[in-house]
Amino acid sequence: MARLLDIGLDRIRNLIMDMATLSEESVNAALESYEKGVMLRPQIFEYSEKLRILQLEVADFATELIARYQPVARDLRFIQSCMDVAYGFSRFGRYAYDISDVLEAIGPIPDCDKSYVIEMANTAKNMIKLSVESLKKLDKDTSQKLYMMDDSVDALYRSYLRFVLTPRDREYAYAEVRCFISALLILRYLERIADHACYISDCVHYIVTADSSPRR
Amino acid sequence: MAYFSRSLTVEEVMREEKAAVAGPVETTVRYKVVIKEINGWFGRKQALKNINLNIKDKSVTAFIGPSGCGKTTLIRCLNRMHEMTPCALVEGQVLVDGADIYDKSIDPVVVKRRVGMVFQKPNPFPTMSIADNVAAGLKLNGIKDKNLIAEVVEESLKGAALWDEVKTELDKPGMSLSGGQQQRLCIARALAMQPEVLLMDEPTSALDPLASSKIEELVRSLKEHVTIVIVTHNMQQAARVSDFTAFMYLGEMIEYGATSQIFKNPEKELTERYISGKFG
Repeated sequence: MARLLDIGLDRIRNLIMDMATLSEESVNAALESYEKGVMLRPQIFEYSEKLRILQLEVADFATELIARYQPVARDLRFIQSCMDVAYGFSRFGRYAYDISDVLEAIGPIPDCDKSYVIEMANTAKNMIKLSVESLKKLDKDTSQKLYMMDDSVDALYRSYLRFVLTPRDREYAYAEVRCFISALLILRYLERIADHACYISDCVHYIVTADSSPRR
Repeated sequence: MAYFSRSLTVEEVMREEKAAVAGPVETTVRYKVVIKEINGWFGRKQALKNINLNIKDKSVTAFIGPSGCGKTTLIRCLNRMHEMTPCALVEGQVLVDGADIYDKSIDPVVVKRRVGMVFQKPNPFPTMSIADNVAAGLKLNGIKDKNLIAEVVEESLKGAALWDEVKTELDKPGMSLSGGQQQRLCIARALAMQPEVLLMDEPTSALDPLASSKIEELVRSLKEHVTIVIVTHNMQQAARVSDFTAFMYLGEMIEYGATSQIFKNPEKELTERYISGKFG
């Protein structure tokens, strides 16, 4: 016979998976917006708001489960982690919206070299996918792969920063400055997204092993 | 502060800070009760199978496990009550402060004085007043000094957090108290003998939540002076009051450890399943 707590755990799991889908969609939409120059800001704002509301719902429901059933051990770690994971997904939504905000403020940038951002975007999208997969399967071993990807994202960000800061023998054109600013801001948001993907896999590691700091 | 008080290297300061966070290093752990290879039977049925356990002095240890797992049998072995049951048998050693309570030279009455017990249902002596209930053990042991008895009654009732509620009605029958008060009266009765170890067999199972929480608070405060072993079916109670938890199943000790570890990350799958309510 299923425990009453199991019904609650299923519900919170479903909420988290809804957030996973929504957060992937919001980041994909923001990056498509950058790559193809389509303005999707209202749609991304809507995703971000939904994610924020779902995060509150997860926190409320997790608190209720703890109050009602006093879960312990893995059940407790799962519920506690759901709150952290929900925060991570809501941050994905927020960064996606921040990216769309940058694009709105900068305006069309069709002639910029987008290779850095696209490269990092692909890695970040893969990281989100991997973190969601690890959560679905409760696979604690994904974290190591994500840390390596995160290191490459960090390196790419630093490399672009160095490239922009390298002294040149001529003044930058206005169009170039817009390219640099947009790329730097978006790279920064992607770097944060990558961090949160790692945090999600840290949560999975914690649920499975009770070790909260696999990286230490 | 350390940087200014004397000249220290950064490494030394970091080492000091690390030590401060970790707390003082406990060099020797003092075990009040050591259970060594205890086996227990009811007739042919073996109720305890080779139990080994060290119980730390002035701590609360909870025994948890499904009905029939041997918790109560084990706790009753700790003050030689098990052997009072017809057909019951115990083998092995229970050391209290290093002395085996099953040694032939040890008087079982002395054991019961040093290792007190509180039962599931409050059981005050029905014909005795509140004060006489507390003083019963003293009188049975031949103590007649009225001043001394009055002093012990007051101290014991204070120790059981009941004094303020009954100090003006000490002559009233013990049975006139509420269930929760009766249980605290039984605790006071046990404390009057100044036990070093207090065994509590599901002490709140017959009480309402308010009375239960008073007993739990009492358990926490009593451990400053007494080593407590509590049997409970209530997981949350074990998590709240105990420092160490032992999980038993089918007469065996499955897992024993710090309560925080048992409830957050038990080592054994069986423990995890039990405390999570997946069986039992």
